[in-house]
Amino acid sequence: MDLTDDNIALSEDEEEEITAEVVLKTLQSAWQNERLAPEILPHRNDMVECMLGQIQHMERNINKLPKTDLRATIHKMELSRIKFIICNYLKTRLSKIEKYCIPILNEERQRVESGTNFLTPMEYKYAQEYLLNMENHMKTVVLDKMPGNMQMFESNKMAEHPNMQSHVFLKANETINGVVLEDLAGEDEEIDLEEGSQHILQYKPIADLVKNGKVQLI
Amino acid sequence: MDPYEVEFIGENRIISVIPNFSYDKIYLICGEFGPFRAGLPINVPLWLAMMLKQKQKCRIVPPDWMELDTLENIKEEEKRSRFFTKMPNEHYMVEAKLILGAASEDVPNAAEIKTIIKDIWDIRMSKLRTSMDALMKSGGGYGRLDHLTMMEINSAKPLLPSAMDYLLQIQKKAQQRVQQPSALNTSTFSQSGSSQNT
Repeated sequence: MDLTDDNIALSEDEEEEITAEVVLKTLQSAWQNERLAPEILPHRNDMVECMLGQIQHMERNINKLPKTDLRATIHKMELSRIKFIICNYLKTRLSKIEKYCIPILNEERQRVESGTNFLTPMEYKYAQEYLLNMENHMKTVVLDKMPGNMQMFESNKMAEHPNMQSHVFLKANETINGVVLEDLAGEDEEIDLEEGSQHILQYKPIADLVKNGKVQLI
Repeated sequence: MDPYEVEFIGENRIISVIPNFSYDKIYLICGEFGPFRAGLPINVPLWLAMMLKQKQKCRIVPPDWMELDTLENIKEEEKRSRFFTKMPNEHYMVEAKLILGAASEDVPNAAEIKTIIKDIWDIRMSKLRTSMDALMKSGGGYGRLDHLTMMEINSAKPLLPSAMDYLLQIQKKAQQRVQQPSALNTSTFSQSGSSQNT
């Protein structure tokens, strides 16, 4: 009995069909990157939704099998592994959203206008509510008891920014030439990342390479 | 990342097992495996192999490299070379730990193999410490780490990246001093207090 749809359409308007296996691989690498990048990365909600649908479908089929069936145990184990990845991925994003709430919201406002949003609509809503709650809390606990000229909630002073200059480990998925490493002395150094090679360097110069999948954080 | 997460990722590697049951092909999300025929080797992900082993439904076929001569050569090579040599697979430590932990009776000379893998790990770790030391002393903000496995890289976290972060901060501060030497004289108490969070 075939428990998976081997080919799943990603979305109605998208013609391209990809296999569950590819979705899982993409999700896993997105999870790994999200765990290791200092800033929030563009969401992969398409992959998450797709995989959740697949899990539901699979669970329905497992329920038809007898409880003691070995296949049921194996499938359940695999589903638990995938659920772990999805949960951990979403939680990591939420904790970044909470931590860097103010800068993320500021940047996201511009990105929403240009249609290149990093957060899902739900995450965006969560971030806005989180900030609002934080502001109200600050007001009731501290600010309202301060002298009149100090009662403003200054969000830019409260903002915590991710350290884009923190160092990360990465592996190049393809050869990339001419990554510029800034040097404090003004002597910029250019390096090439060969396919499969591993490096430790500042996150900033390779941030775009992480987002377009040319390198994998490790 | 925690070591258990690295292990989790390593568990996706494919290894060979000999099942003691027969079953049709099984269609998992990560691919299709089977059909299982009792007594015939078959490739499955490591996590599945471990699960079958725990249920006593299979025997593990040790990977090619999990063998004394091969490992002895790797160890010698690792000792000779100044650089990290390429390991037989990207998650050798995870594979070794899981297989030797759950199925040592399926691996010939398991005890010796355990020791020698530990030796290789120790040699590589000491090399890693030396190179980290050299990297920090040279004040570099960039390093290349070919052939290091994920578990080894993970063991350098968070020490190495955060040491490099601090080094960069120190260098930046030092540079600011050079550029504005007068700032030293004019700095006041309030500045020294508030500049720490920048």
